[in-house]
Amino acid sequence: MKRFECLQAIATLVKDELFVTTAGGATAEWNAVHQSDGNIQVKTLGLCSSIGLGLALSLPKRKVFVFDGDGALWMNLGSLATIGLHQPKNLIHICWDNRQYESSGGEPTVSTAGNIDFAAVARSAGIKSSRAVSAVDELKEAVSHALGHDGPHFIWARIDPGRAEAPPLRYDELENKYHFIRYIEETEGTNILRVPMPASYRIK
Amino acid sequence: MGTLDGARLIVAGLKEAGINLVASVPDINMMELINLLYEDKEIAHVPVGREEEGIGVCTGAHLAGKQPALLMQNGGLLNSCNGITTTALQFGIPILLLIYYAGDMGDNAFHMVGLVTEPVLQGLGVKYTVMRDPAKVKQDIAGAVMAARSSKRPVTLLLTRAVL
Repeated sequence: MKRFECLQAIATLVKDELFVTTAGGATAEWNAVHQSDGNIQVKTLGLCSSIGLGLALSLPKRKVFVFDGDGALWMNLGSLATIGLHQPKNLIHICWDNRQYESSGGEPTVSTAGNIDFAAVARSAGIKSSRAVSAVDELKEAVSHALGHDGPHFIWARIDPGRAEAPPLRYDELENKYHFIRYIEETEGTNILRVPMPASYRIK
Repeated sequence: MGTLDGARLIVAGLKEAGINLVASVPDINMMELINLLYEDKEIAHVPVGREEEGIGVCTGAHLAGKQPALLMQNGGLLNSCNGITTTALQFGIPILLLIYYAGDMGDNAFHMVGLVTEPVLQGLGVKYTVMRDPAKVKQDIAGAVMAARSSKRPVTLLLTRAVL
């Protein structure tokens, strides 16, 4: 299965969930099928799962998706143990495994040799709801299950290599951050940015 | 190990400054402080396995409206340089970095880490204060948190044995 058709399938299942997308092709493709201020891009390879964990722990009533990659997950494999420790019920972590560093020239990752079972790694790390999928229908079923049940959830999605034609992102990382935070403020009724008034402006 | 009084003062200072989530990787000199965080009901404590994960957790927490800090040793600062640069600095994320200053004058462990700590912070463009005066603990914390919020950047407090 192709990553793009998987993302198209997921887009039919979601509404106002939050999406943390790895440095890589998944980010542009996801924004092409589901443009939302609830999408936040990631620039540090491997850090999407940790950012997603921080979001999920801080907003326990919101579903938080993490779109990871095999190269990125390899770089921060320990984050599975940390997620297994903290057990965020609302985290849905999907690893798009194309067995290569697609954005870095298609070089092999740990997954290329076929020895690693990421779903088993996640399960052993304490993420009990962990599945491997390799067909779009299986993926849809796994995501539907994750949306309807407490997690944390991990889905190892074995995909074909290759990128879809997707337009470049609308926002750079700073503008993306502000839109994302404003989206959280609006949907949660909170005030996060709280721009302070300079002391000299205060009416005495 | 640090003292209980020193740890209590730091936790009180964090609360007064509005910090409500602390990710951590332990150091023996912050044992009392970490033990207090495990017990505390107001501050969410998120132990992580490697310090760069903490940069990610604090970033997610900030995006969600929390006011985060990352507690670690300066060896962990070195472990998290890419996350600090390409996530915290590049996205403009205020994070209080509470870093035990191993290899400081009078600390005989990790002298090489101590040697590079301040130059690394300078190279990253991360503002810092070396905390040496127990009477100024709350003031130092409040000032660093204000600097992080107003600059939307990580800001560091280097914790020495004098204040722990």
